[in-house]
Amino acid sequence: MNPIVEASMKRPSALMWFAGLFSLVMIALVAAPTLAPRALPFLHALKIDTDPENMLAAEEPVRVYHNAMKKEFGLNDLVVVGVIDNAHENGVFNAKTLSDVYALAEFAKTLRWEEDGETKGVIGVDLIAPSTVDSIDQAGLGSVSFSWLMPAAPETDDEALAVREKAQKIPTLNDTLVSGDGKAIALYVPITSKDLSYKVASALKKKIATFDDGATYHITGLPIAQDQFGFEMFKQMAISAPAAMALIFFLMWLFFRRLALITSPMIVAMVSVIGAMGALVITGNTVHIMSSMIPIFVMPIAVLDAVHILSDFYDRYPVYRDKRETMRHVMDELWQPMFFTTLTTCAGFASLALTPIPPVQVFGIFVALGVFLAWIFTVTLIPAYVMLLPEKSFEGFGLAAKPDVEANETLMSRILHTTGNIATKRAGVVLAVFIVGMGVALYGVSRIQINDNPVKWFSPHHDIRIADAALNEKFAGTYMAYLTLEPKADPETDSPARAAADVVMSICGEGFSSVTVEACADFVTPSVAVDLDRAIRNAVSATETREAFLARLSDDAATAQDAAEADEDYYAWDDISSAIGRVVADTETFKRPDVLHFVEGLQEYLIETGLVGKSNALPDIVKTVHRELLLGAPEEFRIPDTTPAVAQTLLTFENSHRPQDLYKLVTPDYRKANLWIQLKSGDNKDMNAVVAAVDAYMASHDAPVALQHQWFGLTYINTVWQHKMVFGMAKSFAGSFAVVLVLMVFLFRSPAWGLLSMAPLTVTILFIYGLIGLIGKDYDMPIAVLSSLSLGLAVDYAIHFNARTREAFLRAGNWNDTVQAVFGEPARAIARNVIVIGAGFLPLLLAPLVPYQTVGVFISAILVLAGVSTLFLLPAIMSVMQGVFFPQKKLAPLKERSA
Amino acid sequence: MRRIPLLTTFIAGAFALTASIANAEDAPAAQDIANKASAASYYQGKDGKAVVSMKITDSQGRERDREFTILRTDVGDVDNGEQRFYVLFARPADVKGTAFMVWKHEDKDDDRWLYLPALDLVKRIAASDERTSFVGSHFYYEDVSGRSPSEDTHVLIETTPDYYVLDSTPKNPSAVEFAKYRNYIHKATFIPVKTEYYDANGEVYRVYSATKVDVIAGKPTVTASEMDDKRIGGKTTMSYTTVEYDLGLPEDIFTERYLRTPPREYVR
Repeated sequence: MNPIVEASMKRPSALMWFAGLFSLVMIALVAAPTLAPRALPFLHALKIDTDPENMLAAEEPVRVYHNAMKKEFGLNDLVVVGVIDNAHENGVFNAKTLSDVYALAEFAKTLRWEEDGETKGVIGVDLIAPSTVDSIDQAGLGSVSFSWLMPAAPETDDEALAVREKAQKIPTLNDTLVSGDGKAIALYVPITSKDLSYKVASALKKKIATFDDGATYHITGLPIAQDQFGFEMFKQMAISAPAAMALIFFLMWLFFRRLALITSPMIVAMVSVIGAMGALVITGNTVHIMSSMIPIFVMPIAVLDAVHILSDFYDRYPVYRDKRETMRHVMDELWQPMFFTTLTTCAGFASLALTPIPPVQVFGIFVALGVFLAWIFTVTLIPAYVMLLPEKSFEGFGLAAKPDVEANETLMSRILHTTGNIATKRAGVVLAVFIVGMGVALYGVSRIQINDNPVKWFSPHHDIRIADAALNEKFAGTYMAYLTLEPKADPETDSPARAAADVVMSICGEGFSSVTVEACADFVTPSVAVDLDRAIRNAVSATETREAFLARLSDDAATAQDAAEADEDYYAWDDISSAIGRVVADTETFKRPDVLHFVEGLQEYLIETGLVGKSNALPDIVKTVHRELLLGAPEEFRIPDTTPAVAQTLLTFENSHRPQDLYKLVTPDYRKANLWIQLKSGDNKDMNAVVAAVDAYMASHDAPVALQHQWFGLTYINTVWQHKMVFGMAKSFAGSFAVVLVLMVFLFRSPAWGLLSMAPLTVTILFIYGLIGLIGKDYDMPIAVLSSLSLGLAVDYAIHFNARTREAFLRAGNWNDTVQAVFGEPARAIARNVIVIGAGFLPLLLAPLVPYQTVGVFISAILVLAGVSTLFLLPAIMSVMQGVFFPQKKLAPLKERSA
Repeated sequence: MRRIPLLTTFIAGAFALTASIANAEDAPAAQDIANKASAASYYQGKDGKAVVSMKITDSQGRERDREFTILRTDVGDVDNGEQRFYVLFARPADVKGTAFMVWKHEDKDDDRWLYLPALDLVKRIAASDERTSFVGSHFYYEDVSGRSPSEDTHVLIETTPDYYVLDSTPKNPSAVEFAKYRNYIHKATFIPVKTEYYDANGEVYRVYSATKVDVIAGKPTVTASEMDDKRIGGKTTMSYTTVEYDLGLPEDIFTERYLRTPPREYVR
C-alpha cells in the first residue's frame, strides 16, 4: 500500500484544487511582472532572447574579442537589402528602380529614435547605398574627383548606368554594392544593435511596398534571421505545441474511449509544463531558443507515465471492477519502474548542466525539473482524478469488457503476441538483424557531418531563406566574418633603448652609436646634436615602451624646433623630426608596402580557396586611390613602393565624404588591420574551412613582420559555440549514460540486468545518429540535444519491460509463460505509449522553424526505435541468455509485496 | 515661492517683444551680416599666414595630430572676392611636404590642386563638392576656405546683447548635406563664434565653435576652433600657433610650380 497514492485517493478534491492553484500562482508570477513591470520590480518579467550569440557566456573570450573589435573598428551588425531585377535588360540599373533605391536609402536614414537616452536604429552615416558611398574617379583634364556615387535619384537610364559603371570600378563596392553580374544592388544597413533588425526590416518592407518598379527586394543577414527567429518561436509555442497536445489527446481517446479519464494526463502535462516554464521565468532566466523547447520535451515525458497507468488501469479494471482497488494494484506494480524512469530521465537532462553552454544548462535543469514535477503530479493527480470519477463511468471500460473481442484478438494484441513469439523463438535472427543494423549505424555515425547555420533554421520556402539564396547567388556573400592581423609582441624591439638606436640610425645612418659622434649627419649642428642626445637619453629613462619613447621624443623635437632662433637650428630640428617620423612610421605596420603586399596575397589566397566570396581590406583602398591619382590607368592599381607614398595615398582618401571608413579596416595607429570577409554560406563547416585555410596560409607564409591573426564576427562565433556544444554534449551524454547504468544495476540489484536495460537506448541512439549520418542531415543544435532525450525515453521502456518481465517470471516461474504475460498488458502499455507520444509530436512538422521540425521527427523516431528495440531486442537477449537472467535460484523480487 | 503677478509678466513680455522688434529694425540686413562675418573670418588683411596644429579625436577618443601652414592672399584685396590658399603639411612625417592649393572663385567652382611628394605628383582635384572631409578631420574643405555668403539665403532670427543669430538656408539644397545652419555672430567683431548645422529632420548634427579669439595686428582672429559631428562622433580642434597678416605674399607662390618646392621663407 503506497502512502502517497493512498493519501491522494483519500483527498482527491483537495489535490485537484492544489494543482489548479499551483498553476494559477505560477501563471500570475510570470504574467504580473510581464504586464506591469514597474508595479512589481522584485519579480522577473518574461524575457525573450533569440540571440544565438548567447549560446556562449558573455565573458567567453571569443565574444569579448568580438565586441572589443566591433568597437575598435566601429563595425555594426548589418541588415542586407538586396534589389534584384532579372527581367530588365540592365537589371536594377534604370532610372525608375534606382530612384526607388535612392528613396529607400533616404528612408532608412530616418529609422532612428531615442530610447532610454540613447539613439537607436539605423546608423545613417555608415549606411552602404549608392547615394551614401563615395566614388573616386577621373573628372576630365587629368583631375581626380571625390563625389557621391549617386548624389541624387537618376533622371535617365543613362545616368543609372553611369552609377553602375563607376561602382564596378571600385573594388570595395563591386560585388558588394553592385552584384558581380551588374544587374542587382545591395544596401547594407547598419543598426545599433541586432535586436532592432526585425523592427527595421519591417519598416523597410512597408516602404518597399509603396514602390512599383519591377524589382524584387530581399532582406536578409544573420541579425535578421536571429531576430525573426524569436518571432517565429512564439508562433511555434502558440501553434505547434498545443497542436501536439491535441493530437496526443485524440490518440489517447482512440485507445481508452473515455474523455473524462484521458483528460488527466493532459492536466498532468499542463501543470508540469506550467511549473517548469514558470520556474524558469520566475528565477530570472530568459526564454531562449533552447528553453523555448522545454514544453516540447516535458510534454511527452509527462504523458508517458500517465499512459502507463491508464493502460494498466484499462486492462485491469474488468478484473477488479472497483476503481480504488484497480488503482491500488496498478500503482503498486508501476510505482518502482515509474520512479526509476523519472530518476533516469532527470539524470539524463540534469547532466546537461555540465555542458559549457549556459542556455543548454538552463534547458537541462528545467526539463529535469519538469520531469520531476510530472512524476509528482502523475502519482498523485491521476489516482485522485480517477477517484473523482463516478464508478459508473467505468461501466463497459477496459479490454476484457468488450465481450465480442477476446483480449488476444485485438489487432494490437495479436501483433504484440506475434512480436513476442518472433523475439523469443527466432532470437538468433532478431539479434543478427540488430547486430547488422548496428554495423550499418556505426558506418552512418562515422559519416556524421557536424554543421549548423542559423539561417537554415528557417524552412526553405521562408522569405529569409529565399532572400539568402537570391542574394548569395548575385553578390559576394551576406555572411560576414572578420579577420584581424597585428604584429606579434616582441619585448626586444618594443623597448625604448631599441627605439633610441633606431632613431640614431634614422638620423645618422648605419654604424653610429650616438648623434653626438662627429659626421653623424651634416644637417645636425653641434649644439642641436647635444640637445638631441640629451633628449634621447631622457626619453629612454622616462618611458617604458617604444611607442611612449617615440611620442615623447617627437614632442621634444617639435618643442625645440618651435624654440629655435637660428634658421639653421630650425631646419636641423625639422629634419630630425622627419627622421623620428620615419621610425614612427616603421611601427605603423600597415602603412608598410611589404606588409600590405602580404595582406594582398592573403586576400588573393582567400579567393582561390573558393570558400570566400570576397574580402575588403586596406590594400583595396590604397590600390584604388593610387590608380585614380595616376589617371585611372589599370596598371597603377597597385600598392605604391614606399611608406610615405602609402601614407599620402591614404591622406588623399581621407579627403572624401567618408574618411571614417578607413578606420573600419585599420586602426589609426596602423598597428591592427581588419579584413572584412564576405561568405556566400553561413554553414559552420564552410567557416571552419576558411579558418583552417587561413591558419595554413599564415603558417606557411612569412610576413615581413611576424603577424598574429584572430577571427571575429557572427559567422565565426557560431562555429565556436557549435564546437563547444558538440563536445559538451558528448561529455554530458557519457556522464549520464554512466549514471543511468549505475541506477539500473542498483534498481535490478544485478549487473547483468543493468547492462541489459541499457541495450535499447544504446541501439536507439546508434540507429538515430547512424540514420542522421546516412541521410546526410547535419549534426546541428537540435540534433545534439536529442541525445539526452533519447537517453531519457529509451531507457524508460526498458525499465518498464524488464521490471515487469521479472515480476511475470516470479509469478509464472518459466520463460514461456513469462513471455505470454509480458506481451499482454505490459507490452500494450509500451506500444500505446509509442503510438500516442510518437505520433503526437508530428504536428511539430507544421512549425515554420526547422529545429522544431527536426525535434518532432526525431522524437517520433526515437520513440518508435526505443519501443521496437525494447520489444524485440530485450526478449531476444533474454531468450538466448536465460541462464544469466533467470538463474535457477529465485530472482529477488523488486519489492516485498504485502499482498 | 514668490508669485509673479500675471499682469507684470504680461507687461515684461510686451516690453521684450517691443525691444526685439526695435532691435531687428536697428540691426543691419541679414545679408550684410553674413557678408561681414565672412570677411571677418576669411578676409582679414590683404594676406595672411597661420601655422595650425590639428587634433582629430574620433568617437573612441583616439587622437591623430596634423600640423600644417596656411598661406592666403586676397586677389585685389577685395572682401568676399577671389582668394588663393596654399596649405603645406609638416606633420606627420610621412605626409611632410604634401600641399594643397585652392584658387577660390566668386562665380564658378574653385580650382584645387594636390601635391604628393612621395609620388612626386601634382594633381588637380575636381572641386564640384567642397563638403568633403579636409584631410580626415571633422572640418570640410569649405570650412577651411570659407563658404561664399552668396550661396545661402540669410535670415536674422534674433539679436541678443552680444550676437546676431542668423539662419542660413542653401540656395541649391542638393549640393549640400545640411538643411540650414545657424550662426551666432559676435556683434562687435562679426566673428561667428558658433555654427550649428541642421539636418532635414531639424536636428543639429554638426557644430563649429570658435573657442579662442585673439587680437592680432589689430584684427580679431580666431586662434582656436573646434568642429564636432554627432553622426560620426568625436571632434577636431585646430589651434593657430602663429598668425601673421599683411606679409606681402607674392601671388606667384600660389602656382603649381611652388607646390613642388615650398616657399621656405614664408612657411617657416
